[in-house]
This record gives sequence, C-alpha cells and structure tokens, in this order.
Amino acid sequence: MNTVNYLGLLRLLAPETVLTITGLIVLFFDAGVMRRQSIPRRQQVAAFLLSAGAMLAIGWSRHYSLADPNSTSMLVIDPLTQLMKQVILFLTIFTALVSLESKFTPHVGEYFALLALATLGMMFLVSSVDLLMLFVSLELTSLSLYILTAFQKDKLESSEAALKYFLLGGVSAAFLLFGMSWVYGLTGETNLIRIAGQLRDRATDPVLLAAMVMMLIGLGFKIAAAPFHLWAPDVYQGAPTPSAALIASGSKVAGFFVLARMTLAGLAGAEGSGVWNGFAPGWVPVLAVLAVLSMTLGNLAAIAQTRVKRLLAYSAIAHAGYMLPALMAHNTMGTIALLYYVTTYALTMVGAFGVVAVVEQQTGSDAYDAFTGLSRRSPALAVCLLVFLLSLAGLPPFAGFFAKFYVFTAAASASTRSLGLLWLVILALAMSVVSLYYYLQLLKQAFAVDPPAGAKIIRPLPATLFTLVFLALLVLLLGALPHLLVNKLQAALVVSGL
Amino acid sequence: MPWIAQYLWLIPVLPLAAAAIIAICRQRRRRLAASLAIGSMAVSFLLAVAALALTLHPRTSEAVWRETFSFSWFEFGATALQLGWVLDPLSACMTVMVTLVSLLIFIFSVGYMQPDENFTRFFGFLSLFAAAMLGLVIANSLLLLFIGWELVGLASYLLIGFWYHKPSAAAAAKKAFITTRIGDLGFLLGMVWWYASSGTLLFYDGGNGCLEASALNLLTAQTTFGGMAVSTAISLLIFCGAMGKSGQVPLHVWLPDAMEGPTPVSALIHAATMVAAGVFLVARVYPLLDANPAQLAGISTALKVIAWVGVITAVFAACIAVAQTDIKRILAYSTISQLGYMMLGIGVGGVAVGMFHLLTHAFFKALLFLGAGSVIHGCQEEQDIRRLGGLKPYMPITFATYAIGMMALAGVPVFFSGFWSKDEILHQAMAWPVSRVPFYLGLIGAFLTAFYMTRQVCYVFGGAYRGGHRDNAAQNLKSKTSEEPSQPPQKHPHESPWVMTAPLIVLAVGALLLGFLGTPVWPWFHDYFNGRHSGVDFSRLREAWPVMAIATLFVVAGLGLGWRFYGGKRIVRAEQADPLEAFLPGVFAVLRRKFLVDEGYEATVIRGNAFAAAAMNWLDRHVWETGVLAIGYLTLGLSWASRLFDDYVVNLGFDTGCDRVRKSAKLLSSVQNGQIQSYLRIVAVALALLVLLLAWGGGL
Repeated sequence: MNTVNYLGLLRLLAPETVLTITGLIVLFFDAGVMRRQSIPRRQQVAAFLLSAGAMLAIGWSRHYSLADPNSTSMLVIDPLTQLMKQVILFLTIFTALVSLESKFTPHVGEYFALLALATLGMMFLVSSVDLLMLFVSLELTSLSLYILTAFQKDKLESSEAALKYFLLGGVSAAFLLFGMSWVYGLTGETNLIRIAGQLRDRATDPVLLAAMVMMLIGLGFKIAAAPFHLWAPDVYQGAPTPSAALIASGSKVAGFFVLARMTLAGLAGAEGSGVWNGFAPGWVPVLAVLAVLSMTLGNLAAIAQTRVKRLLAYSAIAHAGYMLPALMAHNTMGTIALLYYVTTYALTMVGAFGVVAVVEQQTGSDAYDAFTGLSRRSPALAVCLLVFLLSLAGLPPFAGFFAKFYVFTAAASASTRSLGLLWLVILALAMSVVSLYYYLQLLKQAFAVDPPAGAKIIRPLPATLFTLVFLALLVLLLGALPHLLVNKLQAALVVSGL
Repeated sequence: MPWIAQYLWLIPVLPLAAAAIIAICRQRRRRLAASLAIGSMAVSFLLAVAALALTLHPRTSEAVWRETFSFSWFEFGATALQLGWVLDPLSACMTVMVTLVSLLIFIFSVGYMQPDENFTRFFGFLSLFAAAMLGLVIANSLLLLFIGWELVGLASYLLIGFWYHKPSAAAAAKKAFITTRIGDLGFLLGMVWWYASSGTLLFYDGGNGCLEASALNLLTAQTTFGGMAVSTAISLLIFCGAMGKSGQVPLHVWLPDAMEGPTPVSALIHAATMVAAGVFLVARVYPLLDANPAQLAGISTALKVIAWVGVITAVFAACIAVAQTDIKRILAYSTISQLGYMMLGIGVGGVAVGMFHLLTHAFFKALLFLGAGSVIHGCQEEQDIRRLGGLKPYMPITFATYAIGMMALAGVPVFFSGFWSKDEILHQAMAWPVSRVPFYLGLIGAFLTAFYMTRQVCYVFGGAYRGGHRDNAAQNLKSKTSEEPSQPPQKHPHESPWVMTAPLIVLAVGALLLGFLGTPVWPWFHDYFNGRHSGVDFSRLREAWPVMAIATLFVVAGLGLGWRFYGGKRIVRAEQADPLEAFLPGVFAVLRRKFLVDEGYEATVIRGNAFAAAAMNWLDRHVWETGVLAIGYLTLGLSWASRLFDDYVVNLGFDTGCDRVRKSAKLLSSVQNGQIQSYLRIVAVALALLVLLLAWGGGL
C-alpha cells in the first residue's frame, strides 16, 4: 500500500485543477460582480473567463511529467491523453464563443460553469484506465450535459429532451456498470491493463460476452451509434444549440477515445473477428453490427429531415458508423485514423452548430426555410456553412475527406485474410454518396434559392463570426495539410502505446 | 555558387510580378501598365546579360559549364518533388534572346496598340507570356519546364483571342490551344514515364539527374513493345509535345490561324520565342534523344525521326508559303518552315547547330513581323499583299529593315545571319551518314524560301500603291478590314512613329551581325556550346565552301526566279491573277489551299469526333440515364421507407406521447407511458440479439 502524494497528483492534474477553479470563478464572478449587468455583457465576461482558463489549462497540459507507464493506477498521463485534452479544451472554447450568440437563459454563470464541469469530466474520461474512474468521470460528463440540455427553461422541448436524455442515459449507464461488475467478477480487477492480462485466454466465455455487449451498449449510447441512437435527434433538436454543439463535439471526442481505450486496451484479448466469412465472437463483430446499422439508418433517415439540427443529429449517427471501422481495424493506423476523424469531425460540428445558432437566434427557427437565400443574406456565414457541410460530406480539400480516406484505408488494409473489412468500406462509401444528397439539399437552400421577400440581413456578432471563419479555415488547413495533426497523433501514440 | 546563378529565378519572376500588378490595375492606367511591363523586362534583360557574361568566363576544364540550384517543392511518402533552375550556355543564350526580343516587341507594342481600348490587358498578357517563357527556359526540372510550357500555351491562347469579338480570332485561339494540347498529351505521358523509370525529373543533379549518364544507361537498358528502348519511346513522346508547339507537320495547322492575334503577338509568340519552345525542349533533352542502347551503334532512332519530320516540315511549309496572299500568313508558313530547319539541324548536327538557327531566326523573324506590323499599321490595317504595293517611298525605314530581314531569311550570302546558320545545317545534313535526302530537300527549301520572300517584298514594296480602291475591289476580294468600315479613309500610307521603327532598327542590326558568331572560319557559337575554346582558322573554309557555293546557287536561283515573276512593274491591279497562277494553275490552287490539310482534318478528325460525341450523347441519354434514374428512385424509395419506419415505428409512440403532453401537460407520466419504453425496449432487444449473435457465432 503506497501512500498517496496529493501534491504530486495535483501537479499532474494541473490542467484539470485549473479548469475546476475556472468554473468556480466564473460562477462566483457572475453571481457576485456581474449580477446587475446586461445579459450579453455577462455572457461576454463569462465566456472570456472560461476561455482564458481553458487556454491556461492547455498551456499547462504541455508541461507534465510522464507517469510510470506500467503503473496500475487509476489515471494515465501521457502525450496522447494530453493531446486529446487539448483538443477537448479547444472545443470548449469554441463552444463558449458560439454561445455568445444565443440568448436562451438568464443564468449565465451556471451555464458557463457547467460547460467547464462537463469539460472536466471529459478530460478525466480521457485519462482513466480504471473501470471505477471511468464510470465516475462518465457520470460527471453526462450529468453536466443533461443539465445543459435542459437549460432553456422556457421551452418545453428542452426539458423534454433533457428528461429523455437523462432516462436513457441512466439506463445505459446501468448497463455499463452491470457489465463492468461482471468483468470484475470474472477477473477480480478494475484496471484495464490487468483485466486484459486476465482475459487473454477466455475469449469465448459466455459471461464475458454478455458483459462485453453490455459495456458496449453503455458506450455505444455515448457515441450515439444505432440502435442506441434514439436519444440523439430529440436531444440535438431540443437542447439549446450551444449545448448541442458540445454534445456533438467534445463529448463525441471523449466518448470515442474511451471506447478505443476500453476495446483496444481493456478487451485486448477478445477482439473476435468481423471479416467476411471469417466471423469469430468478440467486440469486433458487435461493433460491425453497430457500424452497419448506424451508417444505414443515420444516412437514410437524414434524407427525410426538414430541420437542420435533426439533420445534424442523424448525420452524427452516420458519422459514428463511419468511425467504428477504424477501431475494428485494430492497428496503429486505425487508431490514428479514428482520432484524426473524431477531432476534425468535432471541429466541423461546432462550426455547423455555430452557424445554426446564429440563424436560429435571428430568425427563430432551424427549419430549412430559415436558411433560404443565406448566401445573399449573410455571405460569410453561408460560405462557412458550405465549408462545414462539404467537410462532413467528405469532399476534398476539406478535413473530412482525409478523415474518411484514412479510416477507409485503415479498415481496408486491416486484415490480410480474404476481403477483410472491405465489405464495410464499400458500404461506407456507398453511404457517403447518399449523405452528399442531404447536405447538398441544405446548401441548395442556402445558395441557389432566392431569399424570400422581406427577409432580413443576418448579422452575426463579430466574435462569433470570427470563431466560425477561424473554424472554417482550420477545417480547410487540416484538409490541405493533414500531416500537421497526423504527425502529432502518431508521435503521441508511439509513446503512449495504446 | 555565383550570385546570378542563385538568383536566376528573378528573371521570370519580375515579369510575372508585373503581370500580376497589371492584372489588378484599372483599364485607364495605360502608362503604368506599359512602363511596368517594359521596366521589368529591361531589368530581366540586364540580369540575363549578367548570366550570359558568367557563362562566357574562361574556364579550365573541357566539360560544359553548368550551375544548378534545386529545392524541394513538396513531399509525398518518402520521395520529394524537386524543382530548380539551371544556368548553362543553352539557358543563358535563350534568356538573353527572349528578354531582348520581348523588350523590343514590348516597346513596339506601345505604338502599335495605342488605339486599342484594352491596352492594359494586352501588356498584362504579354508580361505573363514572357514570364512563362523565361521560366520554361531556365527550368532544371522537366516539371517546371512543363508548367512554363502550359502557361505559355495559356498566354498564347489569351493573346491570339485578344480580339475575341472577332469570331475568327476566337476560333483561332481555340484551334491553337486544342492542337498544341494533342502534342502536350504525348509530352505529359513521356514525362510520367520518364519519372516512373528514373525516379527524378531534375535534369542535372550532380550525377543523379534524369539527363545524366546513370539514368540514361538505365533507360537505354530497358526495352518496351516492339523491342524499342524505353529511352526512344520517351523521346518520341516528348517530341510530340515539341511538334505541337513548334508547328511541325502534321500539327502545324494552328500556327497560320494564330495570325489573328495582334501583330506584336505574332512577332513575339508565333515567330521569335514561343514556337521556338519546342525546339528548345528538344535541345534541352538532347542527351536523352542521343542515348542509344549499347548494342546499336550510330544515330539513335529518335534523332532520325526528328531530322525527317524537320526537313519534311521545312519543304512542306515553304511550298504553301509560295501561294499565300496574307502578309502575315506568308510569314507564318515561313516560320513553320524555319522551325523545320531547326529540328533538322538538331537532328543531324546536334544542339548547337539547331540553336544557332533558332537565335538568328528569332531576330530576323521578329524583325519581319514587326515590319509587317508597321506596314499594316501604316496602311489602314490592310493585310492582303495584293492590295498593298509601292510602299518603298512612303515607308523608307520599314522598307530598309524589312529588306534586311528578308535577305537574312532567304539566306543571302555573307552579310546576313540566316545564311550562316542555314549553311551550317545544310553542311551537317550533307555529312549525315543515314541519308542524303534531307540535304537535297533542304536545298529545295532554301530555294523556295528565297522565291516566296522575293514575291512578298515585290508585292508589298514594289510597283504602285494599290490600296484605296477598296470600293471597286471589294466584291472580288475578301478583306478582313471590311468589317471595320467606320475607319476614316486615308489617302496615303504613312511611316510609323519612332517607337515602332527604333525596335526595327535594333533588330535589323542583330539580323546582320549575329551570323558572324558561327561562321566556319570562327565557329565561336558551337565551341561555346560544347565548352571548347575557339579560334579563327581559315583552313576550315576549304572543306566548307562547296556546300556554301551550292546553297548560294539555290538562293540566287530563288531570288532570280522571284524577280522574274513578280519584279518590276508586273503587278498593276489588285484583282490581277498571280503570275505563278497563270503559269501553273493546278499546283498553285493546291498550294493556295494549303495542301488541303485543314479540309482533311475537317473530314476525318473533326467529323469523327462529332460522330463519337453524338454516339456518346445517345448512349448517355438512353442507356446510362436509365440506370442512374433507377438507382435514384431506389435510393428515394429506401429513404421513404426509412422515414416511414422512423415516423410510424420509432416515433409513433413519441408523437402520441407529445400530443398527450400538450393536451394534458402531464409530462412525466406521458414520457413514462410513451416513447421511453419503446426506446428502452429496443435497447433490450439489441442486447439479447447481440449476445445471441456472439453465442451462435462462437458455436456455444
């Protein structure tokens, strides 16, 4: 039994500590000092404080001492986790800046403090290597997100969505916890590395299989993979747009990362196989089923949507389906592809929700009709939307193209046996063609259709517009020079050994 | 590395910057545009002279002096694509020629284009062209050369179609672009093949370049279909590009039509510099062309092909030139013919022979074209030689310089540069071990050249002025200028302003003096190219004089016959039939119609293309579209099915629940009763199915 060095722990977790303090400062400052100011003013100050705190955390996360890689501790701090934390912090900053546009609540301090807390949960989620730690951080994230979803109190849809999110989330968390308890029962361990060591030679134990499926259901809920996606359209639709942006971006990044950690490290001995004609039980075939369902259902249902946030929700389900094959490839290239995909996807999604937030705030609706003639009413906004949607559709030279390219290459070359995962890649390619249709439907509204008579010019706040243009440029840059991020991921991955 | 070799890139970049600035200028800023273009070109010229001076420096070793500078453009995988520039005798003398001729033509254009409202745009395009050409010339990488090559093609397209409101100009621009593109396809294929075989596109790279021994040995060692060496196949593909750009038969058809552009453009692009790019390319990759598989001694196949294509073009185009009536078209066909000579020179005698003719030709052909421009400018845009005439007293400077250019082109002995460079080609052709036929054809070409140039000068400057009677002649003669009746009629032709005549004089001096750099007595140019010291040696005259004598004989015969047919006062009226036509009507008609090449293309390639397009259109409309529609409807059906599923299976419970929420405001109970249950049911079913799937798959 070694004694805990709390000072050392605080030093290691400096970014998390900074963010916690930031959340508290935002809360107190808003409640104490800013109470009499106008809401936009309070939003600006709170967003500024949160961004400053997050920047500080990012800066701190670059200086850390590497923990013992073989330790069986609860948390792991290595270049990869720090990189992913930086990504999440950036996404939070962007979300905070996008929030400036929306005026859905007078409780400014609480809103931004909850943003900080949700981010904190995600950061811990990225670092956890222990079932207990993992579950606690997942709950921290989820609970914050439930509240963020319910934040628009004057809108019935918001409360309803939050309630649904909460109930389904609670049940899925129960599944996860139940699965974990079975795994603990089988192995007597809670640390993922040790669990993997124990599980190596009992891949076909029926209890383990059931436990595995339950844990995958819990995490599949987090990443909104079909058939555990049912909450997503309602929540994206009902939640205040900035909250939805965080659910669609930061939470996605953390969710996929923890799924990767769970499967690649924790269930390392129980992959099974999902190749054509080469089925073997394990987590790969389960993910294959989820991927097929997500891609098909997400893309096809998206076609029939008439509201942009719902469209983005179904496209998010489809994207979860595209990303899963990277995990199933089960090699370094696949992991890099997954992380590249989820990072660029999250950036794009924050941007897309940002555009929706502006339009929704100024026209009061997120239906397709609200976007009619956007290119005439706000050219800059329309071009940003174009970049984000085309990147989501996976067209070069935007980041989405390389993301898909890397994932599909990794999946297609994963197995030397027969056709490997090629069948999945072919399905994914066919489905991305379908996806182009509904993205272009929206872009047609924005670019080709004349604005209705008497439509107002849309003027985003300078800060929001700057954020969106910056995000669009970032998407373009990462698409033109994917090496910038890929090289970083590769270097971090080599050190961390995931 | 000397500074000029390192900063060689400034030579093309300065005009490029000028073009960029002019592009954003407003149309009214004429003076700014012209001074930017001319200023940048002047600085480039000085830099080029400095570079040339460096290559002239006396050196100790026998090898050709060469400085290269390379950098890596971008990386993919483990390899990097490198670009760079090279300073050697070839690029040095080409840059000096291009910058000097461009500079003079820019100055000339200030006068010639004065009435045009798009003056600014014109100078922008000219600068772009010059930049691209200079980039092509200094390239040390086939890729950079190709980039310049295509930009030159673009600039040419823009300038031929400069008066795009004229349908003939727009069509000519299109024709030039498409025809050269056919050759460029070969070039591109050759380049890709070369890169695949040798792994680099740098010409010279300290022993690793694709023009250096190690790569060439690799290429000659491999064979491809028909037992042809890979080097030969690549050479022929690259030569396709050169054929397109340098107007060799059968890709020459665009060049005469390109005369629709403004005359300075014809002078700059379609006579002096751009069309020479093909010859330059052949000269640049000469080591590849010359490379021969070890077991085959003698002259490589590629060089044989080049020599034959060259000499056939030379005679073919010269024949056509005899019967043309447009002052610029005659010069265009003579350009094609002279380009054929250059190819012949490179084919039979090596780089120095062909390049020497290229340089002398650049001067006298630019001179002739600018002279023609001066004539056209002075005679109310009249281009038909039958309606010119008697201009000698009106335009003395133009006449004097034009006569010098004409005699240089015809190859009149001793004092004119064309004589020396053409003589060198003929000399080498006679010594060619493969065949004597090119030599004889070359002599015939020289004869024809002298003949048609005499004809042209007699028509334009001799006799009496036949213009100004347009009303009487209009129904008989097709005149381009009849589209512009608004111009006030002018009684007499007039001499052009100094800004146009001064470049003529400079070029005339060049056309006179340049030939003395490559006489048999003092073959300085050849020694400079081959990195040797040069000296005066009269004994070489002894073996050279027979060819010189024979060539002179043919030239004099051509001049004499031309004078016999057209000299003196034989041409009185514009409508009068051509004297040669009266003498040989059948032959003349064929020549006037340019051997029916255009008609032949019309009947075969263009008709075939139209037919193929129609067939594809039919296929597309009736076969593919059905398939596409079927897939489209299938997708739509699936999406409707999915939507129905979502609406009626997944969401039905939710919608009922929502309705109840609105009606009874009992949110909690309705959510409990409504969709959450069905959602959860799906999760539970999924759990059961997934576990079953795994269990069944595992054979439990």
